[in-house]
Amino acid sequence: MGWTSIKKSHLTLLHLYPDHMNLYGDRGNVIALVHRAGRRGIDVEVVAGELGKPIGWQHVDMVFMGGGEDSHQSRIAEDFLLRAPELTRRLDDGIPMLAICGAYQLLGHYYRTVDGQKLPGIGYLDVTTEPGRPRAIGDVVCETTLPIVPATLVGFENHGGRTFLGSGATPLATIYRGQGNNGQDHTEGAMKLHTIGTYLHGSLLPKNPHLTDLLLSWAVDPSGSLMDLAPMDMSLEMKAHELIVARGEKVR
Amino acid sequence: MRLWVAVWAARLVGLVSRISGRGGSSLPGMVARRIDPLVLSKLVSRLSKGVILLTGTNGKTTTAALAASLLQCDGHPIVHNQAGANLIVGLTSTMVQAEKWRVYPRAALALLETDEASMPRAGQETHPRAIVVTNFFRDQLDRYGELSTTVGMVRKAISQMASDGWLVLNADDPQVAFLGQDQQHVIYFGLDLPVNATLEETGDDVVDARFCPRCGQALRYRQRYYAHLGDYSCPNCGWSRPIPHWTATLWDKQSHIVTVRHGNDLMELPMNMPGIYNVYNLVGAVAAAMTQGLPAHEMGRCLEHFEPAFGRMEQVMIRDHQIWLALVKNPVGFTQVLEAVGDWPESSKWALIAINDRYADGQDVSWLWDVDFETLGPRLGIDQWWVSGMRAYDMALRLKYAGIPDEKVHVVENPNIALDMMVDQSTRTVTIYVMPTYTALLDLRQHLTQKGYTRHFREG
Ligand SMILES: [Zn+2]
Repeated sequence: MGWTSIKKSHLTLLHLYPDHMNLYGDRGNVIALVHRAGRRGIDVEVVAGELGKPIGWQHVDMVFMGGGEDSHQSRIAEDFLLRAPELTRRLDDGIPMLAICGAYQLLGHYYRTVDGQKLPGIGYLDVTTEPGRPRAIGDVVCETTLPIVPATLVGFENHGGRTFLGSGATPLATIYRGQGNNGQDHTEGAMKLHTIGTYLHGSLLPKNPHLTDLLLSWAVDPSGSLMDLAPMDMSLEMKAHELIVARGEKVR
Repeated sequence: MRLWVAVWAARLVGLVSRISGRGGSSLPGMVARRIDPLVLSKLVSRLSKGVILLTGTNGKTTTAALAASLLQCDGHPIVHNQAGANLIVGLTSTMVQAEKWRVYPRAALALLETDEASMPRAGQETHPRAIVVTNFFRDQLDRYGELSTTVGMVRKAISQMASDGWLVLNADDPQVAFLGQDQQHVIYFGLDLPVNATLEETGDDVVDARFCPRCGQALRYRQRYYAHLGDYSCPNCGWSRPIPHWTATLWDKQSHIVTVRHGNDLMELPMNMPGIYNVYNLVGAVAAAMTQGLPAHEMGRCLEHFEPAFGRMEQVMIRDHQIWLALVKNPVGFTQVLEAVGDWPESSKWALIAINDRYADGQDVSWLWDVDFETLGPRLGIDQWWVSGMRAYDMALRLKYAGIPDEKVHVVENPNIALDMMVDQSTRTVTIYVMPTYTALLDLRQHLTQKGYTRHFREG
């Protein structure tokens, strides 16, 4: 199937809880998706999914959700559970979702905060998150098995939670620099079909344009058979990317 | 005895490090604390009027400098630290260095700008007579964790305050104002400017703390000046902005006069700095200084010759070029600096943004994505954007994705070289706005000083 035959000129990006879950430059990811789609002539409409607000799920082509402070996370956790059936139905259809930090934790079975509060997640990813100290903070360089070139992903992590993968979870990447999921098993993030959960911000997508393009290709074609979008320059993006990769080289 | 060994050993270390040109401001404090861990408490207990701690995310340095101008106006010396020296060792250094020979009049009061993370310690060791809090924004989260952590640290210091101590709080910042809940002596400051003086709405994403600190619901704003600062109330529990005791009611940008109301009295104060955030700094400084009972009619005179601290929208001339320097360190601060640049009428503006990611800058540059260049970019009238620093490419990418055309963006990784090139390539009609993070600012300062282009810089 060629690019032109299934080209969509309009995508709807659902940004879940932008008011509550917007730590660490999360909007940079939305900006990157809109920008790289726009340069290809694909118009992206960003729809905010806030507490209690109805969502037209049938029109959603991709989903983004960012991180939040524990108090904000607990405020949206219940609402998020109510949306789980419709969200997972769409994710099973193959639309992409990028979930960063707190959102990643809530895609798992539960997240226990430092205060001992247990926030139930929607259990789409087979992961659980326990509190840990000290916070994992710093640059991250990792290598993913996703079909992208280069295989490296870079970002910055800042999380107290330690996430552990169950037998049904596939890690997003192997860590070369940084802590990743739990600082023990060298894994970072988790994925299922076209859903990616990760601790990387920085913001993640601007300096990982190959991942941005992969998500966009899934949004255009949720079946995943379209592997390449129209090629597009990413030299400036890769300069920002390679700076962090080079920091990782030193510790490899 | 131990105290004096600590003080003089530390002063000696300070002297040596100054002579050898390594200006580490924290070293004397470290030495003194090693010899006598109680050195800070002992020294402040000798101050007859005690200590004022001034903290908050943005505006600490300028507010403290303004308050110091007011407090020192009548000739009484105060102890006042430099911006870079606002951790506990820096406060200790400041107090140690202030121990003068007896021929000098001894200061009765110390006004100490204090980093949020050092507040619990500073509170415990100084039992302050007043604590001033400017605002809470997200800043360098990689260091402090989360905003609620920062608020908690300031709360700890408040619990250590002298029983007759004053809390001086920004009423317009919900998280700050809420610190005054259930407290005895609180002085609030805030803005009550005519509607047209408020800033145009920029991206809502810059708004950090617009939830009710009491019940968690979204606050409703009758008036919003920037970010989450304004006149708010909670539709759920009814908690609302406390009425400020000191209120800026008018800001005349042409004549650089801010009118401050206190009860039925109106004061006109000079303010030769751009940006609405400086109106907050001014009225905050007035409220802080008034805890010491300064005559209100003297204030205008005291501020007439005030010059902003280094890198806080400070003007420098390089050859015939007008250069403005403004430190940037978090989204709200950066947005405010850009707003101020946009306010200026100059016909041609060039910008230099220098982003480093060392510890003092904040190692996480994600925050650049929370600055609303999309909305602001086209409004500023900036013809050329130069980007520099260790994270120059992240910054260039930020501008590119905000829709600023590639041909207007120049990457020169070394900020000093970039600035030299800009001066060489521009005509005299071009005004250059330099917006560096902290360590990039230090590098630029050294560069400018070496070239002899600067007026005598005050530290910090
Ligand atoms: Zn409330």
